[in-house]
Amino acid sequence: MNPVLPLALALATAVAAGGRLLLWQQSGPQDSGSLLTLLLGESRRAFADQMFLKADGYYHMGNYPSVFDLALPDGKTHMAKESEGHDQHGHSQPLPHHRDWLEAFGHHFRPTGHRHLDGIRDGREILPWLRLSAELDPHRVDSYTVAAYWLRERLNRVPDAEAFLREGLRANPDSYEILFELGRLYAENNRDVPRARAVLELAINKWIHREAAKPAPDTPSYRLILGQLATLEEQAGNLDRALAHYTRLKHFSPQPDAVQKRIDEVLTKMARPK
Amino acid sequence: MNTVWSLAKVVVLEMVRRKDFYVLFILTVLLTGTAGSVNLFNDRSIVRYLKEICLLLIWLSGLIIAITCTARQIPAEREHRTIFPLLAKPVTRGQFLLGKFLGCWVATGMALVLFYLLFGLVSGSRDHQWPVLNYLQAAWLHWMMLGIVIAFTLLGSIVFAAPSSNGTISFACAAGMLLLGRHLNKVALSVAEPLQSLLYTAYFILPHLELFDVRELIIHDAGLIRWDMVTLATLYAAAYGAFFLFGAWLAFRRRPLN
Amino acid sequence: MDATLSIEKLRVEYRSRDLGEATKVAVDGLSLHVGQGEVFGFLGPNGAGKTSTMNVLLGFVPPASGTAHIFGVDVIEPIARQRIGYLPEQTYYYKFLTAEELLRFYAGIFRIPKAETERRIDAVLKLVELDHARKRQIKTYSKGMQQRAGLAQALINNPDLLILDEPTSGLDPIGRMKVREIIQRLKGEGKTVFFSSHELGEVETVCDRVAILHQGQLKTEGRVSDLVREHSANLEQIFLKLIGYSPQP
Ligand SMILES: Nc1ncnc2c1ncn2[C@@H]1O[C@H](COP(=O)(O)OP(=O)(O)OP(=O)(O)O)[C@@H](O)[C@H]1O
Ligand SMILES: [Mg+2]
Repeated sequence: MNPVLPLALALATAVAAGGRLLLWQQSGPQDSGSLLTLLLGESRRAFADQMFLKADGYYHMGNYPSVFDLALPDGKTHMAKESEGHDQHGHSQPLPHHRDWLEAFGHHFRPTGHRHLDGIRDGREILPWLRLSAELDPHRVDSYTVAAYWLRERLNRVPDAEAFLREGLRANPDSYEILFELGRLYAENNRDVPRARAVLELAINKWIHREAAKPAPDTPSYRLILGQLATLEEQAGNLDRALAHYTRLKHFSPQPDAVQKRIDEVLTKMARPK
Repeated sequence: MNTVWSLAKVVVLEMVRRKDFYVLFILTVLLTGTAGSVNLFNDRSIVRYLKEICLLLIWLSGLIIAITCTARQIPAEREHRTIFPLLAKPVTRGQFLLGKFLGCWVATGMALVLFYLLFGLVSGSRDHQWPVLNYLQAAWLHWMMLGIVIAFTLLGSIVFAAPSSNGTISFACAAGMLLLGRHLNKVALSVAEPLQSLLYTAYFILPHLELFDVRELIIHDAGLIRWDMVTLATLYAAAYGAFFLFGAWLAFRRRPLN
Repeated sequence: MDATLSIEKLRVEYRSRDLGEATKVAVDGLSLHVGQGEVFGFLGPNGAGKTSTMNVLLGFVPPASGTAHIFGVDVIEPIARQRIGYLPEQTYYYKFLTAEELLRFYAGIFRIPKAETERRIDAVLKLVELDHARKRQIKTYSKGMQQRAGLAQALINNPDLLILDEPTSGLDPIGRMKVREIIQRLKGEGKTVFFSSHELGEVETVCDRVAILHQGQLKTEGRVSDLVREHSANLEQIFLKLIGYSPQP
């Protein structure tokens, strides 16, 4: 018996499992977690990381950092950041500098140059990997939020985004990140103010519950939620509520002046007679 | 050359008549088909993950075919004692090795043609694009890479006493090089001195199989690779292939057969 | 020296891979000459060194000392093998080939032209009576059929010297007779045949000369008729005497 065959078979099984999982996901996502735990055990989380990296790689059209690049200073994925709408992330195009001739030669055979995908055609290509990542590690929150961002914002498939976020929420009921994405979806896409409000307020509660006591809390997320909520209330005409949220936001913001400007605007609106 | 070609033809014929290739091919078709039939957010035009899976399977199959086919050649000749009537004929040991190499390489190349046709069909049926030249470049480089793998597996089958371990060792080396080869210099940067020099030496000496892996370019519809670079890569592969074959010849030249 | 095959003071050793184990001397100081057109029987009990000698003649094993020449060419040179036909002691041929393909493959190595190849394939397959199975893969052959296929491949290049290691082993009585006939026919065509065998009766009938090897050393060599006269016994008795076998009381 040739020993290569079992080895290869193991690898093929891993790949097959991947395909199977995708199928499984379609038929019913509920109890897939248990099957996977059985199948892949703890390693599934590592696989999920790989899938997420793969999605990041697709986002960069194949030119994405490896674990080894990430270990060097200045290596980081930022697809998730993108999803928060900060499009102006400033990676200046680094001139391709090669450590040696092999690297220089190798660059002809790999995608190079920092290119992001754009357009509907490219954007959807990252979805299978995020789905797989979520499938492998349902507690990896990024998978849901990033996928939802793409579905909702770039592909205009709001119901799919909502369904996927709901699925993520079932696995991670305490995730303020998912609640925030969901709130944003209700606010911006569905214009469903009561639901958006309920979800975002829940997000704030979850955040306070999980993060507030930490020595280094995740304030950027908190700011995003507060900002979203404040804008929602402002647009809905609940100016006093908006004012409360802005005031709180100002307390956490690195640019309190900008927030103060919004507060002033709200105050002017409130002063205006009905 | 005639002799070498005669030897090679027998290897090719063996591969055609064995079941290994068909099993791998059907497995690839089935797995790609499974992945392709998945409904992803009701979007039929999502194609890159499918290309990725199909190419991954093709790369795995290519390695398996090349290594299993090569690793068994010389041990089987000795075990079945067919090497005796063969070398009793006017065949030099060098011709024997070259014939085995050529046979395995051509057989693998034939398998690759079928695999890449399948890939073209899979991706074309979703994408409605037929970048034939890009696929040709990818398949060509893939084939060149497998030439190196075949040459060192052949060397391994002479050097290692236990024939079965050779296949595993070759597979592990090839897979390791494909996954890590590109990063050895970066890893070297992060370790202390005696090891650092060692890793750097390995980085510059070992054949960089991953150079030939242009799957990312194909998956992301990047442009053609410059042809002069393809030529250089081909020469790079030829140099390493020749080096390993020469080593195999040195080891086998005076080896008693019994 | 116009001998077709000449061996001078040949010594063959097998070096053991394991340390500490002694080197095995398989052939020790063997000198032999076989002239053109002779049928030469190479005899000896199991482990005498017959196959080892042939391994040197075909370049499989380098001699520890001494030399061997075929048609005046040192056996190290591959060209020495252009005019040889060799039947190994036991071989499985490429199982996935048919007899026809096997012969075509070997003919290719000898650079025999295409038309000539087909003609010879027909001839040798008829000779060894495998004509009916020529399009079947060798894995479907019986042991005797494989042995015949082996004989066919040894004849494909119309060799001037045949080195046959136990050509009749595994054959039925008709097959053996057939091999004897083939050997005689080759002799009639002026070919030289060097073969080992345990069938002393068959050796007696076909051989011009014989050599008896025991524990790597040559015990005797000569024309069968001379030996029989000299020892006033038949070949079997001579054989047993020379290897020091005394019948149990
Ligand atoms: N590969 C080997 N390694 C070590 N010793 C060997 C090897 N091949 C043969 N020998 C030894 O060399 C001696 C001669 O063996 P050889 O095969 O030449 O005998 P033979 O005359 O052909 O015997 P038989 O009639 O059984 O075929 C034997 O003692 C055998 O054990
Ligand atoms: Mg023998």
